[in-house]
Amino acid sequence: MATTSKQYKGIGEDLWKGRAEKVNAELFALTYGALVVQLIQDYEDYAEVNKQLEKMGYNIGTRLIEDFLAKSNLGRCSDFREVGEVVSKVGFKSFLNISPSVTHGAPPSTSTSPRPMSTGSAPTGPSSGAYFTLTLDENPLAEFVELPEDALEGGLWFSNVLCGVLRGALEMVQMQVQAEFVSDVLRGDETTEIRVRLIKTLDEEIPVGDD
Amino acid sequence: MSHHLFVLSPSDTPIYNLTHSSSKPASSIASPLASNLPTWSTSAFAGTLTALSGASSATNHTSGGAVRMGGGQDRHVIQMIANASLDAVEDVMRKENTMYLKAIDKFNEWTVSAFITPGNTKFILLHEGKNDDGIKSFFMDVWELYVKTMLNPFHSAHTVVRSSVFDTRVRQSAKKYL
Repeated sequence: MATTSKQYKGIGEDLWKGRAEKVNAELFALTYGALVVQLIQDYEDYAEVNKQLEKMGYNIGTRLIEDFLAKSNLGRCSDFREVGEVVSKVGFKSFLNISPSVTHGAPPSTSTSPRPMSTGSAPTGPSSGAYFTLTLDENPLAEFVELPEDALEGGLWFSNVLCGVLRGALEMVQMQVQAEFVSDVLRGDETTEIRVRLIKTLDEEIPVGDD
Repeated sequence: MSHHLFVLSPSDTPIYNLTHSSSKPASSIASPLASNLPTWSTSAFAGTLTALSGASSATNHTSGGAVRMGGGQDRHVIQMIANASLDAVEDVMRKENTMYLKAIDKFNEWTVSAFITPGNTKFILLHEGKNDDGIKSFFMDVWELYVKTMLNPFHSAHTVVRSSVFDTRVRQSAKKYL
């Protein structure tokens, strides 16, 4: 039974309201800001800082997905489009209380003839290359932030931890994705957008020891 | 009537400064020297410069009542006055607990008012005439804007404020209150 967009929104709202422990938004933003500034001082290379933020996000994401699935009780998503809907309406809402809008995109080249896949299996599930774009109109991480000149030139994605969280969380549910920032208002762009692209669906790994 | 705002970090390094020319009519200031000087030199800077240099011809005289802004010579005078007032600021700081210290120093026609934030950042305003309420509101406004700037993680107590947003808002506030 396909869950409609409105139902997802409702689930997200309920999860947010039902959460017993919330943290002060200012404290959260200031802590994250201090973290980024410290990383910049330690690594002194903005590309490296981006990578580290993404790695940290990955670790957060692998743990976050457990909490999410336990609380939301949602089943498996039928296709990547639904993944986008759930992530934006339930995921972001329940953890950050923001509702990014999502736009979907088809895989770049669709051909009916079977193409040799790296996994060796025909794409029956979500088609590789499909992507969705999350447009965040407010970003609680970057509440008071103004990037200095060299951060702008160095190519810093301030909220790159979010990309890592998406990658980590989706990998735990058997989807290998690539998440990256497309634009950021901190950098002077019009919107803040994250594009999440499906690379491949991971096969279920049989736990070692089961004979 | 012009105003000069200096924002100093806790270690007395300049973080921000602004020169604002008020559109409000200047209240008549009884400058002790004014009566002795020819009318063409009663502009703000000329009076001070004449007193300092002792020369009778101030090269920066203006016509009518227009105030000449920011000539190279003038800036040095203004900054000298601001720096000199810092000692007075510290004196008053120790005695009083309030943030807004009213007029702490007077130099010819320039009065220096100060405002000290809880984090020891000093706002120094050079102005002519008396405008306590307006200046107090202006300081409170600048303080709020300053706090918002401080929340930026890339900004420390000693970083120079380069934000154009801050600049615009301070100017707006100056227009409103001064």
